[in-house]
Amino acid sequence: MRKVAVIGGGATRCGKREATWRELVQEAGKAMFDSVENLSPKDVEALLVGAAQPERFTFQVHVAPLVAECLGITPTKVIATTELMCASGQAALRYAWACISSGICDVAVAFGVEKMYMRNMAEAQTNMTCVLDREWDGVNAMSAPPFFAMTAQRHIHEFGTTEEQMAMVSVKNHHYSTMNPLAQFQKEVSIEKVLQSFMIAPPLKLFDCSGITDGAAGVILVPAENATKYTDSPMLIAGSGQANIGNAVANLASISEWIPLKLAVKEALRSAKVSLADIDIAELHDCFTISEIMEYEAFGWCERGKGGKFIEDGGPYIGGTIAVNPRGGLLGCGHPLGATAILQSIDIMNQFQSEVPNGRLVKDADVAVAHNLSGAANVHSLMVYSRR
Amino acid sequence: MKASREKITQPDKIDLPQMLDFYPLQDEKDTRISQFFKNLKTGQLTTTKCKTCGSVLWPPRVVCSGCMSEELEWVNLGTEGELYAFTEMKAGAPLGFEKDVPFCIGLVKIGSLLISSRIDEARYEDLKIGQRVHLKVVELEDDGRVFYRFKV
Repeated sequence: MRKVAVIGGGATRCGKREATWRELVQEAGKAMFDSVENLSPKDVEALLVGAAQPERFTFQVHVAPLVAECLGITPTKVIATTELMCASGQAALRYAWACISSGICDVAVAFGVEKMYMRNMAEAQTNMTCVLDREWDGVNAMSAPPFFAMTAQRHIHEFGTTEEQMAMVSVKNHHYSTMNPLAQFQKEVSIEKVLQSFMIAPPLKLFDCSGITDGAAGVILVPAENATKYTDSPMLIAGSGQANIGNAVANLASISEWIPLKLAVKEALRSAKVSLADIDIAELHDCFTISEIMEYEAFGWCERGKGGKFIEDGGPYIGGTIAVNPRGGLLGCGHPLGATAILQSIDIMNQFQSEVPNGRLVKDADVAVAHNLSGAANVHSLMVYSRR
Repeated sequence: MKASREKITQPDKIDLPQMLDFYPLQDEKDTRISQFFKNLKTGQLTTTKCKTCGSVLWPPRVVCSGCMSEELEWVNLGTEGELYAFTEMKAGAPLGFEKDVPFCIGLVKIGSLLISSRIDEARYEDLKIGQRVHLKVVELEDDGRVFYRFKV
């Protein structure tokens, strides 16, 4: 197994974009190739494209060759689209990492893209309702908001978590996203504003939910020993972990505790040879405010059921126990499904290079973890990155 | 020569395409678990149980995920359950369900199973965790397909 480095990356601004899927690809692709020297699209041997639902959102399949064509990439070793819903981008990263690590090739691109705004937004909601088991969950309109609403309801019921504590997650992540020019949401929110926002599915209100987002991003991976040919400050992939239990809501390990995440954390730390205390930055999948609270618990930064108290006490802020989502998270940056994991990795690289505004800089960070969940939180995917 | 012009049209509306229809196909020509829907038509909520290892499988299957046996039998789940969790869809419903908004969705505990379901004839404020709910069968007017729901 070879050590793998990320040598550069680029992304679009995220949000409701007046641009098509393939235009987003071109914007992010240019930014990605502009970020590194001594490397051209023709040097790329493997292209993995994380895209959750291009066939539904833009009525296009076989999208990896379309990305290759738009960017002048002519892959000679590996090309594929990777789909793992909200973790599709991380799937692309994992396979690109595996391609380099295994020696299959020496230059790989992990790309991610989603165009979610449609003329008829009910159609976009329809797309999001075939993520869980369509015939047994989707048929009940069980998309992400009602599923995570029930998750929040159980967490409140079992542990006494409050809607105010959930709102604090949104306040924190919107605060950090005001310092991220790529973010969809650029305004601070207050606890009152979150609590008074439009009810989507009780107890989840509008600002408890991440946005519908257009965006694209890409990173370039090479063997660590080659990294300095391209950059002075590569980011290393230190390890990874991934676990899945069940699919339909009926077959989850638990509603109020994310057991597959605990397994994935254990494997990620083991493979990266680091402990929880070594992690300086955690980019966690805050698709809903309750998600981040349950992630504090599953990682072990606080006890089970104490996630609400953890944010109330300032634990997940920069300067607290662990800096969680200094990028602005999905709540602040938006969640262009396939692109999200790639956006997380680029921001962590920027953190390691101290190229983010002071207000959200985690000083002297050496180790970071990036997490994505997908489906009914039945799959959890983690990457561990290190500065050296 | 000047380019010629012609106005072309697309249909204003088309029938709901099959892949945007959330309700499963139920006929024996389409599925090997058509018995589930036949039972439901008579008011019985059933699922498959493995004769080899005893696992009760939900959703109904044709192969046991516990032991790979194909020896499965239909078991009756009764008509009552306990509300484990619930919410109310107030926005963001998919095509075909928009006219129902607001409506409640819940997880219904029946024995060891946690079944997701629409919870009919109630508003969010009326519901409580642990409440008894009762089976209700809905039938699609156009083609007679059925599905289960629960109500207070």
